[in-house]
Amino acid sequence: MVAATKEIPRNKPGEIDKSIAHKISQRDELTEKTGHYWGIKEFTLKDSDPMKFERFYSRLQSACMAAREISRFVAASPGGREMGEAVWGLASAEGDSIALSEGFVSHSAAFPFAINFMVENGYEENPGFNDADVYVSDDGFTCGAPHPGDTYTYVPIVRDGEVISWACAVNHIMEVGAPQAGSWAMFAVDTFMDGFVFPPTRTGENLKQYAWWDEMWKRRTRAGVVNILDDKMRLAGCAMILKSVHDIIDEFGVEYYIQASKEVIEETRRVVKDNINNWMVPGTYEQSSFRVCLYKGMQKIWEHADKDTLIHIYMKSSIDDEGRFHFDMEGSSKWGYHAFNAFPGGYKVAVMMALAGALGYNTKFTSGGNYLMTSNLPEGCIYNPGTHIAAHSNSWAQMLMVTLQTFNTFTRAQFMRGYMEESFAVCGPWDAMQGEGILEDGTPYGYTNFELLGACAQGAYAYRDGDPAVWFVASQLCNMGNSEEFEQLLAPLFHLGRKLEPGYCGYGKYRSGMGLSTVQWINEPGQRLVASRAGGTCGIIPELSIGMMGGYPSPGATTAIAQGTNLQDLFRQGISPSTLQETIELSDKGILKTKKIKVWKSDAPETNLKQDDLWCQQAEAGGGWGDPLERDPLAVLEDANANMVNIAFVEEMHGVVLKASGEETYKIDEEATVEKRKALRAQRKSESVPVSEWYKKHREERVLKMNMLEPVVEMLRDATSFESYNNHYRTFWHLPDDFEI
Amino acid sequence: MEKVEKQIVEQLISGDISRDESRRLLKMDPKDPERFWTYLEVLQDRVKWKDKILLRISDHLYIVKKEKTGERLVKCECGHELGDYRVNWKTAANVRIRATQEEMSKVYFPATAVPEPKWNEIREFFCPNCFTQIGVEVVPPGYPLLFEFLPDLDRFYSEFLGRPLDDAQDDWYENQTNKKTAAWL
Repeated sequence: MVAATKEIPRNKPGEIDKSIAHKISQRDELTEKTGHYWGIKEFTLKDSDPMKFERFYSRLQSACMAAREISRFVAASPGGREMGEAVWGLASAEGDSIALSEGFVSHSAAFPFAINFMVENGYEENPGFNDADVYVSDDGFTCGAPHPGDTYTYVPIVRDGEVISWACAVNHIMEVGAPQAGSWAMFAVDTFMDGFVFPPTRTGENLKQYAWWDEMWKRRTRAGVVNILDDKMRLAGCAMILKSVHDIIDEFGVEYYIQASKEVIEETRRVVKDNINNWMVPGTYEQSSFRVCLYKGMQKIWEHADKDTLIHIYMKSSIDDEGRFHFDMEGSSKWGYHAFNAFPGGYKVAVMMALAGALGYNTKFTSGGNYLMTSNLPEGCIYNPGTHIAAHSNSWAQMLMVTLQTFNTFTRAQFMRGYMEESFAVCGPWDAMQGEGILEDGTPYGYTNFELLGACAQGAYAYRDGDPAVWFVASQLCNMGNSEEFEQLLAPLFHLGRKLEPGYCGYGKYRSGMGLSTVQWINEPGQRLVASRAGGTCGIIPELSIGMMGGYPSPGATTAIAQGTNLQDLFRQGISPSTLQETIELSDKGILKTKKIKVWKSDAPETNLKQDDLWCQQAEAGGGWGDPLERDPLAVLEDANANMVNIAFVEEMHGVVLKASGEETYKIDEEATVEKRKALRAQRKSESVPVSEWYKKHREERVLKMNMLEPVVEMLRDATSFESYNNHYRTFWHLPDDFEI
Repeated sequence: MEKVEKQIVEQLISGDISRDESRRLLKMDPKDPERFWTYLEVLQDRVKWKDKILLRISDHLYIVKKEKTGERLVKCECGHELGDYRVNWKTAANVRIRATQEEMSKVYFPATAVPEPKWNEIREFFCPNCFTQIGVEVVPPGYPLLFEFLPDLDRFYSEFLGRPLDDAQDDWYENQTNKKTAAWL
């Protein structure tokens, strides 16, 4: 919930204050006092005429849906047009979303942050809000945007001088104008390297942008035309919503509109509250994740940033006395001079993603559920820096783990409650390729390729394997991860392969879907082409610390870059690597010759690419579930016969012994499998020790001596700078009082 | 309101449920409020021991009520008891550490997906009796054990299920892990 704003009396005595500031303050006061949104205890409109209420809502919802389905074709960027990495919504005057289109719906959690910022900083007085004005922002600090790649448009819907609603839109743009090209400046040191970042800015009126606004996109970003079309796309959708809402207000009346909107949100809140009561289990859930930030040697000019950091994402979830979820992030790292910081608005988006997936799908999807998600974000931490200078180009590098930890809390609870059909190892290892170039004719451009922002594997379920290439935690759309239009648009990139990477998954009794690998062949790069990796988890550390019920957490993502190759020779021989793994194998065998081949298990920085270079990515696996020794041997056989696993590897992992049967098939050696499983279980016994023994030794050798990598030490210092985590760490290891971490 | 049959819940637990059936469950609105009781019934039938299951917390781990002593313990499906549920069950488990490239390469594939030693260690937790793998952590060395879930059982039963447990007491919802580990030193 956004904090109440201080009230400036705006009206003469006796006049009703219709300012947004007053509405926000009333909403907060009534909600806090009663526990109901806007104090709504009775659904007076809904109950007195439910058909009218549902008809009203379906009109609002349809307006948002239509806005997306039509306006996305204004865009030229595949991200906007084909994948619809976007959403359109209708928010109340205070910023709470009432209805949303398809798309990345959870980005609506940021709406109230922008509205609140504008109100608190005097926009209501100067310049004031007129019907069909256009505001745009992409700034996490002032607008709640998760990061500057996500650009928001806000159009106030005004009647008789009163802001009734906002038509809102957000999409992830093609290029954000940072020193590092693309839309996630992975090596930003502070916000002045995040790119073209701007607080809520009035960029137009009467549904038309001012002439200068287009010039800003052209001047400050590398993809001016595409970004302008995205901007027009967002505005087109908002215009459609605005027109529909005026029609709806004409039909239903302003008072009905305002009151029914509140009832809709309160209705959602109650359904989600019931869902928590019906599907969840109260208690304390503890989780963590880690995200490397390897800058050492890469930031030489920015000495204060030239270090390796390990970011700690730490969450304790519980259900409070009011039946709301509470996420305590205290112990998470402090913010730093790197690109991976976040602000509270973006954090709220991350939480809403989990809510959307597990607790919000049987109701009108409004911001009502957000009122049941509370958090502790201590000032100074990576979600609440308390300073405007923190870079947040890629908050998602670590903040997606907030979504995953939240979502895993829910699926774990569902498992315990018996709603096992819902339980799976939630994962979200997204990836992307971005950069800039100059075409042969001298035209400069910048780009982001989102093809690995979707088509993720889903993690293993509690009762079956996850599926490959179906999932993206941030969006329900099945065309997230489509790549055809990107390939068409981005001149020098051609897929030699875009397929499942055999064996690349989280293992367990049930495995995740196989992850993906892409191989981009650089052809006719023009005068210049660079690419860098943008992504979530790196290959160095899995995205979650906890594997589910004895399974292994999802592996991270890796990039491999082969430069100065003999690819043309290989093509003539009919050889063409189609996965990252194949590229490396061909190189190891000396078949693929390279001047340089580098494997990045962390973030690959901008790399100059030339003709016949290869850019390979391996990403989008998921987590496993359960003890791998319990996997059905027939499932292992099926994978083997589909060439989806390494035979030697699965023998050790699952204890299933396969022998060749015919040219390209296997069969199970039943006896050998029984023996192997016995042996592996015996090995567990002989190679393990009681935790008490491990604890004492580990404490002695590692903890007391601080025998860890420097970034791990720094991470612990950071985490223990917060009181409750300091307490937690010290008491867990029973450290002497004077022990210095 | 539809009640999901015991047979279907059995299929969910055993993994034999068909895709169509699991989809039907996913689409149910509202979900059957009886499910937890059916779940407990099926689980109780499946285990070879008699202690009453209060909550299933993992594939093979249950919190059970010991009638004789009044304790609430974590119990493995094999029958081994891992102690009071208020203490992280990992402290009663066995652990194997994978700390080298070679060791980690046995559980992550391909080589480019193997986590880096020094940044991580893989902790595999086993029931000390049946050596089922009951948990995995991948964390930096020196990192405390994660207590995946401490339930507030009494609140769960009274507020969420509407059938309070009859042995409620004040300190049932209290993390007692550190008390146990202190005794190790």
